[in-house]
Parts: sequence; structure tokens; C-alpha cells
Amino acid sequence: MLGMFSPNRVVSPNAMKLIGLGWAVSFLLVWFFSPFQVLPRPGEVLSALQRLWAEEGLSRELWSSVLSNGEALMISTVLSLGLSYLTVLPVMRPVVATLCKGRFLSLVGFSLVFTLLLGGGHILKTSLLVFGMSVFYLTSMSSVIAAIPKGDFDHARTLRMKEWRVVWEVVVRGTLDKAFEVMRQNAAIGWMMLTMVEGISRSEGGIGVMLIDQNKYFHLPEVFAIQLVFVTVGLVQDYLIGLVRLAMCPYADLTLERT
Amino acid sequence: MSSAYTVGEVILEVKGLSQSRGGSPILRDLNLVIEDLIRPGMTMGQVVGLLGPSGMGKTTLFRILAGLDVPDSGTVTLKGKPIQRGLVGVVAQHYPLLAHRTVLGNLTVVGGRPPKELRASAMQMLDRFGVAEHASKYPSQLSGGQRQRVAIAQQFLCSDDVLLMDEPFSGLDPLAINRIINFINEIIQTDEMKTFIVVTHDISAALAVCDTIWCLGRDRDAQGQVIPGARIVKSFNLVERGIAWNEKAINSPQFFDCLKEIRELFPNL
Repeated sequence: MLGMFSPNRVVSPNAMKLIGLGWAVSFLLVWFFSPFQVLPRPGEVLSALQRLWAEEGLSRELWSSVLSNGEALMISTVLSLGLSYLTVLPVMRPVVATLCKGRFLSLVGFSLVFTLLLGGGHILKTSLLVFGMSVFYLTSMSSVIAAIPKGDFDHARTLRMKEWRVVWEVVVRGTLDKAFEVMRQNAAIGWMMLTMVEGISRSEGGIGVMLIDQNKYFHLPEVFAIQLVFVTVGLVQDYLIGLVRLAMCPYADLTLERT
Repeated sequence: MSSAYTVGEVILEVKGLSQSRGGSPILRDLNLVIEDLIRPGMTMGQVVGLLGPSGMGKTTLFRILAGLDVPDSGTVTLKGKPIQRGLVGVVAQHYPLLAHRTVLGNLTVVGGRPPKELRASAMQMLDRFGVAEHASKYPSQLSGGQRQRVAIAQQFLCSDDVLLMDEPFSGLDPLAINRIINFINEIIQTDEMKTFIVVTHDISAALAVCDTIWCLGRDRDAQGQVIPGARIVKSFNLVERGIAWNEKAINSPQFFDCLKEIRELFPNL
């Protein structure tokens, strides 16, 4: 048992489950018996969740947000991967490097420009999400590509591949597992960003709008209930992307030292 | 075993090769001729060693011979044709494979051949190298020895004649080095078309596997100062010394004499 306090110790899957269970029980105990009265109790949160679902259309708002986020994630993935792969061309590197700097910009500053350019409603929400996600996706993915060892390219060249085939094998296929990993992190960033984006573009509603409204009126059980939904959907999304990664890149986890 | 042989066609010829990096000469007017050694009544290839201490420009030479880099001056020809990438098989240090492809996929990825024919050759190659049962595995699921075999098989599909190996013994334990030596011997004894060029700093391993050794080193001026840029400074015909083509040579006085001679040569290269 003391092994779990030793650095870099490999523990069995069962021991890992036990450790996870221990943390979950501890968390629930703290929540149930917390001295901070401001925190709503689990019972209150569950009641709020039931009410939001049955009376305030949480499911509809959630579906709208999930669809928007999924759509933005797909567009952002295609754009970011395409641009990242294009960094093999020297002419595209300054463009991508500049776009990556966009991660330091605030989305609020783009709402008016995007509205004037694209119109409001769904397209505004999606485009803000796409922009917000893409700059992070592009930053991570272009770093992954820049870090490919020169030897990998040389190895492919010795296999009589033409240069675009080298790009396909080494840059596209060779980093596919990492692209999914980056997508996973990016999807989480997008899901977290959703509240802000739905706050900027409220016309289509969404779970983010619901959260902002409940927060404005200090309905803490409702706020916690919506947060619980956020976490659950985020975890499901993360799990699903992980499943696709495993199906598409079965080799990816074969070398991991820790289980 | 008889050590009678005749010299056949020129396989690889390097003429006046020079290469600098950052203004410093790495290779200077390097000349080298690798000829086919023919043993009457026998079918076998040969192993040539390019030996030199670390920092002598071995990797630079390896990259040029592989067609990966273009030299500042000089020519490299393979059977009379100018060298270009993909013309010789190249096994880099640590035996690289494409991690996202299976063992069979690593062989069928080779370019320039019809897919159907390539697949058949790949299966044949895996079978010949004793790794056919691992065809559907990924490289990370292979043992060190299996990985070496697959990496060599992959490069065999790229070249009918010459296989370049960069530091094939580097970082391996003595058992693994023996395994590689035995594997190379096993291949050359069954394939007269193959010439292995092994670039290494490991003297004893080179002696155990090579027929000829070429030593890379730098000349000195009249004051004893090193002239920058490596050249071939000495060659050892291990056939004539009774070391190559002799199974018992590894424990023979000739082997240890030659080992001593090269070891004493190394500090002055």
C-alpha cells in the first residue's frame, strides 16, 4: 500500500481502481459534511437538476450546445490540421505562426466583427467557437509537427518515397495519434469556452446561457447542477474521442510505461 | 574454408569527395572503391567496414553514400550510376521503423514497386528473416532482435545490391552484437548480390563481420598538426589476413593482432 506514495511506482489496475475509489469517497464525504454552508448539498443539486430538466428545458439547451460544440470541433479540426500539415511548406510557416498568436486575443473583441461579417445567431456562435478552438489546436499541432525528428523524414526518404508521400507517412499518418490527443484537449477547451461564447451570442440559447442566467440570480443548486452536466458531457466527449483514437491508432498506447 | 577469390566489378566508387559544415571541412578528398569479391564455386555477398573514431565524419559519409546529402564536391557512383536516395538500402542506427504501420505495412510502404508484387516480396522477405509470424504486429510489440530483422528486411526491399548500416552495434550488449553479426553472416552466405557497408566505431565487431575494413582518419602536416577533414587513411583486407571467411578466426592470433593494430592506429587518426 505504501507503494502508492513512491515516485514512478507502477501499480496494478486493481490498486489504481482502489485509489480512485478512495478519492471519490473522500470527495463525497467532504461535499456531504462540508462546513461551508454556501455550498449546496448533493440532494439540493440533484433536485435542481431534476427541475431544470423537467421544467426549464435543460435537455433542449444541452442538445443545442452539444451540436454547436460538435460542429465547431469538426470545423476547427479540419482547419487546424490542414494548416498544421501545411507548415511543411516554408511559405506557410509565418502564416501559421501568426495565427497561433491569436490565442492571446479575447473572443469578446471579435463578436462585433464576426457579426458584421457573418451575421448573428448560430453562425456567430459557431465561428467564435471555431476561432477560439483553432488557435489552440493549431499551436499544439504545429508544435507536434515541428518536433518530428529529422531521422524520421530521412528514414521515409530511404524507402523510395516521393516527398509528398513522405509528408503523408511521417507528418500526417505518423502524428495521427497525437492529433487525436490534441483534439481531446481542444474539445475540452472548446466545451469550457462554450459558456463565454453563448454569453456573447445568446440568441440561440444553450446550456451556457442557462448557466449565466442561474449564476446571475445566485441559484447555486442550479449552477452546480449545470456544472455537473458540463462535467458529465465533457467526460463523455473525452471518452468518445479516446475510443475513436484507439480504433484509428491501435499502436498509440502500446509503448506506455505506466498503466 | 578456402580464401581464394577474384575481384569482380566495381560496386561503389567514391571519387574526390569533400564536405564541409559551417566552414569546417568534415571530409576531404575522400576516395574509395568497393569491388565485388568472387569466391569460386560459392554464392555469397561481402561486408565492408568503414571504421573510425567518433567525430571523424562517419555519419556525414554515411548520409552522402545513402544519397541523403549532396557533397560539396566529388562523386559517388553505384555500379556506374550516380548515387541517389533509394538506390541503396539504408539501416540507420537504432533500426527505425514506422510506428503507425504493422510489420507487413512497414515493408509494403516501400515506393516504386507495383503493390501486388511488393506484398508478395514482403511476405517472402519476412519469411526468410524468420519474422513472418509477427507480420500483423506493430513495431513497439517486437523484441530488439525482431525489430533489427524487420528493419533490415524493409531496406532489402529497396535495394538489390547494397545495404548501408550506420552504427549497427551501437548501444547493444555483447549478445545482441553477436546476434547482428550472425544475422549479417547468415544473409551474405545465402546471397551473392548483397554488399553490406557497415559504418562503425566498434573495432572488434567490425573485425568479426567484415571482409574489408577502411579506416577514416585525418592526415598530419610536417609539424604534426592535424589537417582538418577525414580521408581513408588505411585499409585492411581481412581475407588475406585469414580473418574473414574463417569461422574460427575470432579466437585466432591474426584476429587479435589486427585488433591491436587498429586500436593503436585509432588515437592517431
